[in-house]
Amino acid sequence: MADSSSTTKIVLESNEGARIDVERIVAERSVLIKNLIDDLGEEAVLAEPIPIPNVNTAVLRKVIDWCKYHKNDAAQSADDDNDNRKKTTDIDEWDQKFMQVDQEMLFEIILAANYLDIKQLLDVGCKTVANMIKGKSPEEIRKTFNITNDFTPEEEEQIRRENEWAEDR
Amino acid sequence: MTAATTTTAGQKYHQHSTSILKTLQATEMLDTKPVLPAEIIATILDYLPVPDLLRFARTSRRYKEMVYDDTRWVARLKSMGVWDEAGARKRFEEAVQRRRQQTISSGVGRGQPIPPPSPTGTTKRESLFFDADLEQERRQHELLQIQLQKQQISDLRDGFETMKVSGGGSGGEPPRDVEGLLLVVKNARSIRGHARQEYGRIYGALAPFYFDLVRARTHTDPLVFKVFRDPDRQARMLANLRSFARSDWADGAEGRREKLEGMTGIFESAVLREFEQGYEFWDVDGRMKKYAHVLEVLNPGSSAGVELFIQKHPIFADREVLANAMDCVNQAMADSITLEPSRRFFEVLGRKVNEQGEIIGRIFPRPQRVFWGFVDKVREEIMVEYITPLFDDAHQRSIPSYLRAVSGIFEQTMLFLRTLTPPKGGEVDQEAKAKEIALRIFEPHIDLYFQDEIDTFTAQAEREVGEWEKKLSEQEASAESFYMGSFANRQADKKDFLTSFKKVVMMPVTVLPTSLGLPIGSPFASSKPAATAAANGGPSTPSRAGSPAPAGTPGDRASSPLPGKAFADELAAKAALMTSRLEGIKSLFSIEVALSLVHGAKASLGRVAVFIQLGGQVGGEAREMCETIFVTLLRILGNGHVKPGFDKAVTHLSQYNPREVSEHEKGGVAPLVTFIELVNVGDLISQMIDVFYEQQLAQPKIADRNDFLDPAGMAKKKFEQMLDESVAAGLNKGIDVLMDEVEYICATTQSPTDYNPGGISAPDSILSGTIPGMEKAPAPKPPAGAIDMDIGPSKTAQRIKDLVASHTSMLVGSTDKSMLDVFNGEVGLRLFTAVCKHLKRQRISTEGAIKLIADMNLYFEYIRTLKNKDLLAYFKALRELSQIYLIDAKHAKEMATIIADGDRFGGIFRAEEVYEYAERRADWYQVKREVERAMYGLECCVM
Repeated sequence: MADSSSTTKIVLESNEGARIDVERIVAERSVLIKNLIDDLGEEAVLAEPIPIPNVNTAVLRKVIDWCKYHKNDAAQSADDDNDNRKKTTDIDEWDQKFMQVDQEMLFEIILAANYLDIKQLLDVGCKTVANMIKGKSPEEIRKTFNITNDFTPEEEEQIRRENEWAEDR
Repeated sequence: MTAATTTTAGQKYHQHSTSILKTLQATEMLDTKPVLPAEIIATILDYLPVPDLLRFARTSRRYKEMVYDDTRWVARLKSMGVWDEAGARKRFEEAVQRRRQQTISSGVGRGQPIPPPSPTGTTKRESLFFDADLEQERRQHELLQIQLQKQQISDLRDGFETMKVSGGGSGGEPPRDVEGLLLVVKNARSIRGHARQEYGRIYGALAPFYFDLVRARTHTDPLVFKVFRDPDRQARMLANLRSFARSDWADGAEGRREKLEGMTGIFESAVLREFEQGYEFWDVDGRMKKYAHVLEVLNPGSSAGVELFIQKHPIFADREVLANAMDCVNQAMADSITLEPSRRFFEVLGRKVNEQGEIIGRIFPRPQRVFWGFVDKVREEIMVEYITPLFDDAHQRSIPSYLRAVSGIFEQTMLFLRTLTPPKGGEVDQEAKAKEIALRIFEPHIDLYFQDEIDTFTAQAEREVGEWEKKLSEQEASAESFYMGSFANRQADKKDFLTSFKKVVMMPVTVLPTSLGLPIGSPFASSKPAATAAANGGPSTPSRAGSPAPAGTPGDRASSPLPGKAFADELAAKAALMTSRLEGIKSLFSIEVALSLVHGAKASLGRVAVFIQLGGQVGGEAREMCETIFVTLLRILGNGHVKPGFDKAVTHLSQYNPREVSEHEKGGVAPLVTFIELVNVGDLISQMIDVFYEQQLAQPKIADRNDFLDPAGMAKKKFEQMLDESVAAGLNKGIDVLMDEVEYICATTQSPTDYNPGGISAPDSILSGTIPGMEKAPAPKPPAGAIDMDIGPSKTAQRIKDLVASHTSMLVGSTDKSMLDVFNGEVGLRLFTAVCKHLKRQRISTEGAIKLIADMNLYFEYIRTLKNKDLLAYFKALRELSQIYLIDAKHAKEMATIIADGDRFGGIFRAEEVYEYAERRADWYQVKREVERAMYGLECCVM
């Protein structure tokens, strides 16, 4: 059953109404969709497209691309031990290239990954963002993330001093 | 049907799901602006390197809180393995407690704000918690922070200065601070709410070294090796860095860690080289010790140095230790083995290993592990090399010496392992370790050994029984019967014998050779040929007196090498003595054979039993093997030896015909005496087995006495049952034989004048019918005889009584009490019948009645000794009955009353029967009419 059903086509529908065919195994990288199929049964899912209401077509395509490439990855277990490992694994080359998009797109992908519950993609996204932050001054960070500064200069200086130990060399 | 259900279910799902999908489709999502939610931000923060993370905290209050969140830092401390959750909780609870007390004490003035704690650092720290007033917390926090910062910065600055200074060559290492750097990981505290500060302290100390090391190109570059000159400190710092690296989660951490590992590896191998050099010079307390500690610090649990030490250890090439295993075989006599060389081998080895143990204790920081690793290597390289060829060779040469070798070497090995003195400071269970090692050595041999052991024992036992039987059949032609000289002290003899036996059984089987170095073995392995020789000598001399056996056997056994030989000799002598006394049954079975079988079993058992201490599967197997040996012993002894003996005796019994036997003056029925002796010996053997079971199996807890499914216990019960059955069958036959004999005596020895002294003249005297007739009666007889007859029982009765009594008394103490009772009861009853039958054949005169009464009294007295109430009633009746003969003819009427009086005879005799007996009166025809008239006339009157 698993073999035959893994290649079954499933239709996903973006919030702009675009329908995209995907193999079931690809779609099931998303825990959300996987659970949906498990709950509703294959027939129901085959009959009609699954709406993905808060993802637009471009992002959905991008996410599906990622899922296609990673469709055979081992499913992740979420225990603590793995957690530490996961944190330390570096982004692989393909993913790095994949993430070479503008910031808006990057955030959209992260949000989509979060919504669709694709943990690995979310991790890659977060790492990419972390790399963006690296080496930036607080002001630059604020700009990047659109953060309003609610510190007084004294307060900010205070925090800086508190954490002087971490500033390198 | 299933299909149908599925379809309906599917349809239902379908409808249901369509509706859900419709709802989803209908939902209109608003425009999504790319602002990441907090949870995602939190994830992103996890991937940030520490400096960036703290810069991020400066962007806004919200993010500061997020960054400062304690759990974030606790996680890092945890990943380093320095966060103690239990300790943190305890601290927290203590703090809560203190605060509560504070609140209570300050709560006197209610409504007043809680006064802030005293501004000293320590109190602040202690009185700080999550639920503290926000304002207060912040203030304290900041104060504390500043304090900490200062401290850390100074720490850090010291570190940097050191680096710079050492580069400049002034060599001014402030030792306290350097030590502080080394201890920073160890000293990390687990305080909730302060994880960030703690981590900061560690980071401040280690990060410079860490990142510097990662950047370093060659192994001489890193700061670590410049700041610290001492290899011990270098190792400690590297170990710190390794644990610090685990809290580095940022991008590229993998590469950094690899670099660190590589550097550590280089360092480790350098240290190892130093250690090796120290090893070559045997610089125990100097370089070896130093570098072993460095290795341990660098990588706790690493075995590089340990392996090097063990692998290259000179003991494995030591000529003195590597003894030749063949000495054990070569130094002994042909087909034998001496374990003295192996004992020496183990002694030398033990001494050397203990020496090394002491050295290991000096060199290594965790000597226990090293020591046992070393011992394991010794086992593999030296002991196995020694033992295996020895066993193989012994097995080829002779099985008995192989058996002794396996068991003996095992014992020596255990002794060796137990006498090892491992260095202190470990919690390794030496006994368990010793067992484990012994098991590894002996595992390959143990199956073969067990098989050989049981095979050898079975073969030996069967051979012994077979030999004995062969001898017996040769001897059968000249079979003759001897009876035990004295019946009186039989029980004492038995007791004596058993005491000696117990002593021998309790004596441990000494598998270890004594200092004499003589061949070892069980006491009876060596004494067996002697016993056989003595027995062989026996049959050739037809009139075999008791003396040769006891004289000969102990002499032969004097060469027995065992320390316990005194006991063994004593026992052997006693066995021989018993045998000589029991000549009569030697054609049936022999106590000596039984004894030697038991001892064979004991030797095997003793050898196997040493393996039980190993426990586990092998221990269990050894235990089973012990039981199997015991079961085999019982099988061969019981079915092969005792049972045929009994069967034969019973056959003899049933063939007995008193009329064909010429001699009757011996005082017993020969086959029955034989049989009863047999019962005695059987009992003895059974007791022997019992003692053996108790001593060898039950006491060392090999067999469980209370487990009724235990094979050894079952076999023992079966054996006892077999013995009981044989005895019962024999006794049954025995009673028949005994009664035949009784009847025969009655028929042949009772003279008609015994009860009828008047003889032919009786009618005359009866005719005269007076008392003078009685006086006249003895006249024809010799006066002496007459007087004799008047006062005592007849010779026949005396003989019968003696016969029966001697047989019954022989059984006392040799069989079960209840069986004895049944036997006695049966004998008594049968005796009663025989006497009655006999009585009916006699003719009894009034004068002879006295004699009869005397006889009956004799029987009665005898029966009373049996203490059987029911039986006594019979003989009481008989005694009463005998009185009817005493009644003078003139008192026929009274006679009639007595005859009719059923109560008088306790219901044993009915009136008709008594009447029948009355017919045996010598003067019956004179009194018949009177009596009948008195009996029936009375009835007529009534009618």
